[in-house]
Amino acid sequence: MIDYEYLKPASLDEVFDLMKKHGSKAELVAGGTDVMVFIKQGNHSPEVLISLRGLTDLCYIQKNSAYHIGALATHRMLEQSQLVKEELTALQQGSSQVGSIQVRNMGTLGGNICNAAPSADTAAPLLVLDAVAVLQSPEGQRRVPIEEFFIGPSETVKKNDEVLVEIEIPSEMGRFKTAYCKHARRQAMTLPIIGVSVGILLEKDVIADARIALTVAAPTPIRVRQAEDFLKGKPFEEGVLKEAGEIASSPECCMPRDSLRCEGWYREEMVRILIPRVAMAAVEE
Amino acid sequence: MAEYQYIGKSIPRTHETDKVTGRAIYIDDLKLPGMLYGKILYSSYAHARIKRIDTTRAKKLPGVRAVLTGFDIPDVRVGFIKDQTVLKRDVVRQFRDEVAAVAATSPEIAREALDLIEVEYEELPGLFDPFEAMQEGAPLVHELDARGRPLRTNILPLPWKFSAGDIEEGRRQSAYTVKDRVATTWVNQCCMGTSGCVADFDANNNLILYNQTNVIFGAKQRITDYFSKIGLKGKKIRVKNVVVGGSFGTKLDTDIYEFICLQLALKTKKPVKILFTREEEFKALPPRQPAIFNIEQGCDKEGRLTFRHAEAVLDNGAYTSWGVTTPSVMMTPMSSLYRVPNVFFKAVCVYTNNIYCQAMRGYGTPQATFAVETSMDRLAEEAGFDPAEFRMINRNKAGDITPMKLKITSCGLQECIEAVKEKLQWDEKKGQQKDRGVGMASLIHVAGGARVYKSDGHGIRIKVDEDGSVDVISGGTDQGQGSFTVLAQIIAESMGFTPDDVSFTIGDTSLGLWDAGTHASRHTFVAGNACILAAEKVRRQILEMSAELMPRIIQFGLKRRSRKDKDFQTPDLDLSLLSDPENLDIKKRMVYLKSDPDNPHYQVDVTQVLRQGLHVGTGESKTVMAEVFYDPPTQMLDREFKGNYSMTYAFGTTGAEVEVDRGTGQVKILKLVAAHDVGQSINPTLIKGQIYGAAYTGVGYALTEEIKVQKGKVMNPNFRDYQILTARDRIPVEAVLVEKGDEDGPYGAKGIGEPGLVPTAPAIANAIYDAIGVRINELPITPERVLDAIKAKEGDEAC
Repeated sequence: MIDYEYLKPASLDEVFDLMKKHGSKAELVAGGTDVMVFIKQGNHSPEVLISLRGLTDLCYIQKNSAYHIGALATHRMLEQSQLVKEELTALQQGSSQVGSIQVRNMGTLGGNICNAAPSADTAAPLLVLDAVAVLQSPEGQRRVPIEEFFIGPSETVKKNDEVLVEIEIPSEMGRFKTAYCKHARRQAMTLPIIGVSVGILLEKDVIADARIALTVAAPTPIRVRQAEDFLKGKPFEEGVLKEAGEIASSPECCMPRDSLRCEGWYREEMVRILIPRVAMAAVEE
Repeated sequence: MAEYQYIGKSIPRTHETDKVTGRAIYIDDLKLPGMLYGKILYSSYAHARIKRIDTTRAKKLPGVRAVLTGFDIPDVRVGFIKDQTVLKRDVVRQFRDEVAAVAATSPEIAREALDLIEVEYEELPGLFDPFEAMQEGAPLVHELDARGRPLRTNILPLPWKFSAGDIEEGRRQSAYTVKDRVATTWVNQCCMGTSGCVADFDANNNLILYNQTNVIFGAKQRITDYFSKIGLKGKKIRVKNVVVGGSFGTKLDTDIYEFICLQLALKTKKPVKILFTREEEFKALPPRQPAIFNIEQGCDKEGRLTFRHAEAVLDNGAYTSWGVTTPSVMMTPMSSLYRVPNVFFKAVCVYTNNIYCQAMRGYGTPQATFAVETSMDRLAEEAGFDPAEFRMINRNKAGDITPMKLKITSCGLQECIEAVKEKLQWDEKKGQQKDRGVGMASLIHVAGGARVYKSDGHGIRIKVDEDGSVDVISGGTDQGQGSFTVLAQIIAESMGFTPDDVSFTIGDTSLGLWDAGTHASRHTFVAGNACILAAEKVRRQILEMSAELMPRIIQFGLKRRSRKDKDFQTPDLDLSLLSDPENLDIKKRMVYLKSDPDNPHYQVDVTQVLRQGLHVGTGESKTVMAEVFYDPPTQMLDREFKGNYSMTYAFGTTGAEVEVDRGTGQVKILKLVAAHDVGQSINPTLIKGQIYGAAYTGVGYALTEEIKVQKGKVMNPNFRDYQILTARDRIPVEAVLVEKGDEDGPYGAKGIGEPGLVPTAPAIANAIYDAIGVRINELPITPERVLDAIKAKEGDEAC
């Protein structure tokens, strides 16, 4: 039977105390849009749920020397932020396509990342934006590049005594033109068949720098460096972008699998087709 | 056309306020004192022998009041052809086989108790492909039939074969022929409210079953039959609807969970509720029947159809519900959609270890129409005709008697095709655009009842109280379609009252007169006609009372007025005119003189008549009431499946404009036009609601919906992985109402419940062909299938 104690501490210190006290019996919950579903399905059965919803000071979007997004910022906040829309476009596009408005009002950026689904809608944009995950424990803070954060489906480098407190994005990433495409069977309440995010830094008509990230193309969200490297220094034109799509969809770069939701060959094909489209969309934006 | 007060007006529905404010009592909300909660343990295998069931631990769980297995209840067969038992104790034949059931003080405890039931199985090989199951020597899903006689084949003993004219002669007359294989799959009805019921016995084992059926008397009959076999013969049974959150076919049959609920209530002597979770709704509720067709059609040089030959194989699953009877309804489009003189149709249903099927909106016709209408498009192309023109050449017309002996009394098919052409700008767009295309498909469906039982009747009781309120008791049900708003309009129009005066009591076998069921798109037509007849009776009674009482009421009024008002000039009236009911009529609750309708002195409020008629002070008081049982004069289908089994038939055409993304294979619907011959709309808003809803379901059937069944197991039992479209997908549907009236329909109306869904998928498939030149013969038309077909075509062209 589903039964757990629900605790809602008001500070990070209290969270750490409770995590220490309850150890592996406890699970952290932010918006609950994943955790509560797992509990209902019987996949998780924590004895204690430690809610982070009392940590209201982790609910922010700021820009100073870098972009700082609190782990408890909701998808809806990101969706509606003019700053994110203009300067971190792909992230706005990713956040605005999570579930439905109701889900986006509850679900948080930190939760989406810590859940570490291979299909997470914010993961590819964060990879493209060189985001850094800021993890805190009673011992202090450490900073992990998002590319190193995911280690497997539902697995991250976050240790049991750590809490993700912030996502930081270097300010120079604001100069990139970015976009995200969630390729799905319907427009809401769904998971992507494949997720593609592209960032392009143009100098005149030449690609000075590029980022390409994929979700559902591997056990974790991935960067496709071979395709990025190919683009660097090349003119921004369709043929070049198509070639990047070919490289990214090759077996060396991605390994989409057959699943109930979609067959691998189609996902691979979509990587090839969508990379040039998303790159175009990023720059046209 | 007659000037109506309420017919053709979009009167708002009133009960829905309770639904949107959360006051309506669905089965989920219903709680009886002392009620327990039932849960069902399903099989862990698609096919296995049960070696041992141990319920000891489950019974010990605090809060558990009963644990039942097949050994605890009479091993009685139930179902459409009595091929299953309520709880299975020897062999399980599908993953949804009910093996045990628990009643407990909370649903959570009941759920936990299921985990404590130990069942040991010996797995047996399964049959998951109907073609394999048809092979000679295939293992048998059922060894014995209902009477215990040995079976030799998995093919069900049902005679689904239709033949008219001479196929060979048709072939000889053909200048062009096409032949195809098309396949449709399982789809779930996706009712917002999940399945459930509450069984409540009194101390004498008389039953009230609160459930969601749309066939209350059918349900009562099935329970009566079951009771007679479990030692409860003669017990009273009352079937009572709660507010129903959608039906779409799911509430036609009495499902196994309902029998289990009865057994749990009998065992515990408490009311018991069973309510499905969404997962159960996907796994343990019979969906739409999948069908695979081989279809061949021909036409002559002028484009006239010469023959249609189709054979279908239906995966029946492990047991039999109404799904198995869908071929009898498929015969309607197979034989009668467009004029085709020579027809052969045969369907076989085959037992497998897959999930079994039941009714769903359209009842077999969406499958059959997908076959017929995609084939029509190919044949048009083969013969060099525009698909719209080809359909016009072959369209049905009023006065036709089809090969199935359906009498087409009214037919707006021509207008529907023309409306679709106009709205889609067909002539400009057809065959013109790169990756954009238009397509159409039509339908025929019963729209004036459907004599599938020996009675297709509907009973209506009306009483009119002295305050002018009209209470109507109907044996029909409302599963969300709003027909009681429509029927109130019909009664108000017929009686000269207002729809606000009319209240309905529905869905209760103890109160309502018999009804065949709110199914087969028949409610507006059959109940509507019953309402007109009953309303006419009470109107007549009121007029007779008026003829007797009006002169006195008016005289009295005039006298009183002149007493109060000295200046009042008493008008010169001929009150004798009022003593003949033929001279009187009622409009907006006023009885008036037909020859001088605007003269206020010849008018009396109907409540004055009703009061005076009732409160007479002698033994001659009267009240106003009527009962009518209307059974349309139709025929049962004969042994050859021929006969005019509906009073009239619905026609309609759906047109789609699509855009196909050649890179991703995604299909975007730019426009969907659904033109329907509805005879006469009683309530345009509601009728359009029916058409929109049905069209969306049809789009899901065409593009996204599919129950994924792997080796008998439902793999996507949730709305995350079973993809119905959402509001965000913004399918632009335009409904066009073709209103030519039907001579037998209530105020000319024809049924519209199911038709909107039927031609949607083939219209979209045909539009995709127009856009990219590839045909997808299998539903749903997923991006993968489109891309695959594009690649195959490009490969062919490269060779």
